[in-house]
Amino acid sequence: MKNQKIKYSVLLVSIVVFTMLCLIIKNNAPKEKAKTAYLNVLNWTSYIPDDVIADFEKEYNIKVNYGTYSSNEELLAKVSSAANGTYDLIFPSDYMIDLMIYRDMLEPLDSSRLSNFNNINDVFLHQEYDKDNKYSLPFLLATTVLLYDDEKVDHLSSYRDLLKPELKNNVILLDDQRIIIGALLNAEGFNANDTNDNHLEKAYEFYTELKPNIKAFDSDSPKSFFITGEVDVGLIWNAEAILAQDENPNLKISYPAEGFTLSMDNYAIVKNAKNVDAAYDFINFLLRDDICKRIIDEYPYISTNKNIKTVPDNELNEILSRGTYIENVGGDIKKYDKLWARIK
Amino acid sequence: MKNHNHAFSSSSETTQKSPSSSTSIKNNHNQSFSSDSVSSVNSSKLFRKPSGFDGFKIFVTLPVIIYALLLIFAPLVYVFFLSFLKGDNYGSYDYEITIKNYIEAFDPTFLKIFFTSVLIGLITTFICLLISYPFSIFLRDKPEKTRSLIIKLVMVPFLTNSLIRTYGWITLLRKNGVINYSLVSLGIINEPFNLMYNNLGIIIGMVYTLLPFMILPVYSAVSKVDQNLLDAAEDLGAGKLKKFFRVYLPLTLPGAFNGSLMVFIPAIGYFFIADILGGGKSMIIGNLIKNQFLTARNWPLGAALSILLLVMTFGLVKLYQKIGGDLDELGG
Repeated sequence: MKNQKIKYSVLLVSIVVFTMLCLIIKNNAPKEKAKTAYLNVLNWTSYIPDDVIADFEKEYNIKVNYGTYSSNEELLAKVSSAANGTYDLIFPSDYMIDLMIYRDMLEPLDSSRLSNFNNINDVFLHQEYDKDNKYSLPFLLATTVLLYDDEKVDHLSSYRDLLKPELKNNVILLDDQRIIIGALLNAEGFNANDTNDNHLEKAYEFYTELKPNIKAFDSDSPKSFFITGEVDVGLIWNAEAILAQDENPNLKISYPAEGFTLSMDNYAIVKNAKNVDAAYDFINFLLRDDICKRIIDEYPYISTNKNIKTVPDNELNEILSRGTYIENVGGDIKKYDKLWARIK
Repeated sequence: MKNHNHAFSSSSETTQKSPSSSTSIKNNHNQSFSSDSVSSVNSSKLFRKPSGFDGFKIFVTLPVIIYALLLIFAPLVYVFFLSFLKGDNYGSYDYEITIKNYIEAFDPTFLKIFFTSVLIGLITTFICLLISYPFSIFLRDKPEKTRSLIIKLVMVPFLTNSLIRTYGWITLLRKNGVINYSLVSLGIINEPFNLMYNNLGIIIGMVYTLLPFMILPVYSAVSKVDQNLLDAAEDLGAGKLKKFFRVYLPLTLPGAFNGSLMVFIPAIGYFFIADILGGGKSMIIGNLIKNQFLTARNWPLGAALSILLLVMTFGLVKLYQKIGGDLDELGG
């Protein structure tokens, strides 16, 4: 009898839940059919301020479905496992552009539809991964920099300086295998994309020397380690470094003497995208000077817009000449992965 | 008609309250459809049969069956096949059957990570056991009200997402965090402790997150121990320790093993705790698998590692059954 009461209440509850589900589905259905334009964007976390997207929606009457990812590989996994036409506009980095072109995942760009194309600084165009910018256009440049607290530690200008014994347990590194192994290779005087076994072994030796000084690996919010006083030294993204400086003026940025890695994030349209028109609208919108300014103010990476000077020209030239883009190393990625597993 | 009513009352005493009583009233009105009504009564009689293969059971379990098939079984089959394919280094795979992934999974570097994870898992399990037993034995003799209140408190943390709770620990454990700050300002220590961004941080996080999974089965086992046995042990002069090792422990072993399984298995897979509280310095199996999918673009190897983890888990469950554990109890 008690059993039966339970049975009926279960039945009742499941009917209620089922009805609610039906209602939710029914409620959502007409919205999809409504005559609004859509744009499905997949972008890095913390890259475009929400109010910029809201302004675009208002101005163009396009509804933006904005998704985020935190690594190129996550982007690759999301796009390649989703149904055709799920995403329209994505922001892959340099080597991922190379890989996505190889896998035929990108739609060629039509330069005639890029009305604000001329706002892009020429120095960022025609990179190795997409020589003619057939599939991609540069959006923002991220670099890795050394950040240190001038009051607490001596001036740092190279990776070698990180080995000082007084920095014990006081260094934070990005949690990114390509960038950190690239830095270790740079420290030993090799190219950041080197895949020679002996060179990688040298890089590992440098790491074992550095290990006692490492407090943590973090890519999500390395700046907070500086803000809470957890560490005084780090190898982190340029934008994170600038944001940390806002909180603590004693923090100083330096570009490692041995070289450093660059990451160029690009606009790219996914093959078989459904809302190509809206995607072009969004690219042109983001290329506008005032919008670039707003993005850079919130996330101080290096803008590719020639009218917005994020860093002085001579500094930019130095960054570009001394920095190395991360390249697609094909099957040798396994070597990096194994080395990373040893490091951890 | 009388017959029909009789059929109802015999099958259930709560006919008046149950929804299908409306059927019988309906039947009373439509006498002309008597043959129809007979069949409907028969079916409703079948419907409420307490034992056997009834439609109700199927109806209620159907969502779970669909859920399990679609969201657990199908992905598992996919992962299983994936683990035998050849990765193409571009985040995809070739349709070529190979066992290379399994050979690669036993690479010394990976074995080292395997070893670290198992060690972290074992330490976490052991600490959880150390906390759960005294707690359960203490709780056993408390009045019913206190007991249920405390058990509810044990479950309260589940109301918040574990990721958020893990972030909360940063505030407590970091160099200038609550614990270090109070200890330093009280003059107890001069230098802040390194409570996190090392393996200690990982273990603190794991024990905190997984403790309820140990407390619940251990408490349930301890509370079922017959008081007469404990009294007898005491009468025969057993001290507290002897009572624990000779009475409690042997009788609650399945419960303890059940809890250990539910602590150990997640402890080798919860990569977010290793990332957040371990500072990303130590990899556990969970990180290794995640990396194969999200950085190394080697899905087949990730799949092979997952299958190996699954085999290990399965082995532990079999072991649990062997020492007399009940599979049903693992669920809760």
